[in-house]
Amino acid sequence: MLVSEIDMITPSSLSECLMQLSKEGRIHRLIAGGTDAAVRMKEGKWRPEIWINIKNLNELRYIQESEDCIYIGPLTTHKDIIYSPLLQRKADVLVDAAREVGATQMQNMGTIGGNIGTASPAGDTLPALYVLGARLELTSLSTKRIIPIEEFILGPGRTVLKENEMITKILIKSQKPNEIGIFQKLGPRKAQSISIVNVAISLTLDQDLKCREGKIAFGSVAPTIIRARKCESMLSLGTINDELIRNIAKIAWKEVMPISDGRATATYRRDMASALLERGLYRLIRRWDNQ
Amino acid sequence: MKSIQFIVNGKECTVLCPPAKTLLDVLREDLGLTASKECCGKGECGSCSVLIDNEVVCSCLVLAGQAENQVITTCEGVGLSPNLDVIQESFIAEGATQCGYCTPGIIVSAKAFLDGIDHVPSVGEIKTALGGNLCRCTGYTKIIKAVQTAASQKISEPETIR
Repeated sequence: MLVSEIDMITPSSLSECLMQLSKEGRIHRLIAGGTDAAVRMKEGKWRPEIWINIKNLNELRYIQESEDCIYIGPLTTHKDIIYSPLLQRKADVLVDAAREVGATQMQNMGTIGGNIGTASPAGDTLPALYVLGARLELTSLSTKRIIPIEEFILGPGRTVLKENEMITKILIKSQKPNEIGIFQKLGPRKAQSISIVNVAISLTLDQDLKCREGKIAFGSVAPTIIRARKCESMLSLGTINDELIRNIAKIAWKEVMPISDGRATATYRRDMASALLERGLYRLIRRWDNQ
Repeated sequence: MKSIQFIVNGKECTVLCPPAKTLLDVLREDLGLTASKECCGKGECGSCSVLIDNEVVCSCLVLAGQAENQVITTCEGVGLSPNLDVIQESFIAEGATQCGYCTPGIIVSAKAFLDGIDHVPSVGEIKTALGGNLCRCTGYTKIIKAVQTAASQKISEPETIR
């Protein structure tokens, strides 16, 4: 299939889009921001017969709060996230992560639904969504289901999304006043780089830096994002101090399971996962103290 | 082939092209607007930057069908001699261009950035805003200086800005 032979349909509503997705006997694919889809089309990897263009389907572009839950439309761009006062207050780790996506152009074009659907092990918003306990609403013409993001992503580029389904909502828990998060990324340069390792941390703190609960998710160190459960259980052992942070960082070295690839070797990734977690915890404590 | 309409640099245009053709190719091949350049073709270098609804995007990753009915501004739309924008004047005055391949993209990015702020930006702010634009001649010092010069001129003489 040549690029010039690919057709495009632009649905004007979600229901029309779901109807298009349910049509059988043809190869179609959704395209939103296009920051991945267009590259794959050029590389010859993705050549559907029809692009279903949802770039301007604005009914799926929103950030709303209801009780202790925040709903994010999948077509919300990274820029929307960065400038959302609600998310800055109640999902700081996601705002942090969106800031690290590409650079201005990619933040303007790329969508959070696209970042999830692409399911890259290095996707920057994903670790943040893991520690925020994100759930995804997947809708087809006749079905609707809500599943945790951990169950959605199966491997690099592989998800449980069926042919006729699309992500229609992202649900995260609002952070409470005693919760604080941070996202740390290591890339070859500051802007526009793919993560060598990234980590999202979210802590629930009591008085005197006593940690009630901690969540840690690493990206780029396994086929999917992974939660560092051993590190997390150490966090709830007591007051966060230098010794605890150093010990947790050592455990992280053992807990991640990276591979060597064009971006870095496995050993380097282990070392950096450990270092990023240590640095992230220190920075997070400083941020907490400054609040 | 599809008939697709856009508003490019203030003018309504209709183009007959495959909907999956990139906006960059449409601008260059169908509309003869060759300021925007293809370099990496993957959204990493920013040479193809254009504004869609005043937001900077990589036109090499926007498909023509996706840009239908959108308001697009290229470097030609920012300003053409003799009616150059203050940003373009500053790039000339500061000598902020070497081979020139990345310059149109950087000017478009700088335009979106400066239109969104009302102060003279710090070096750090400029580096963040232009992080998606690479210059392989590496004349960044002068580029950053030119953006600062343009910002201070915009603030001191706002009435002369188009």
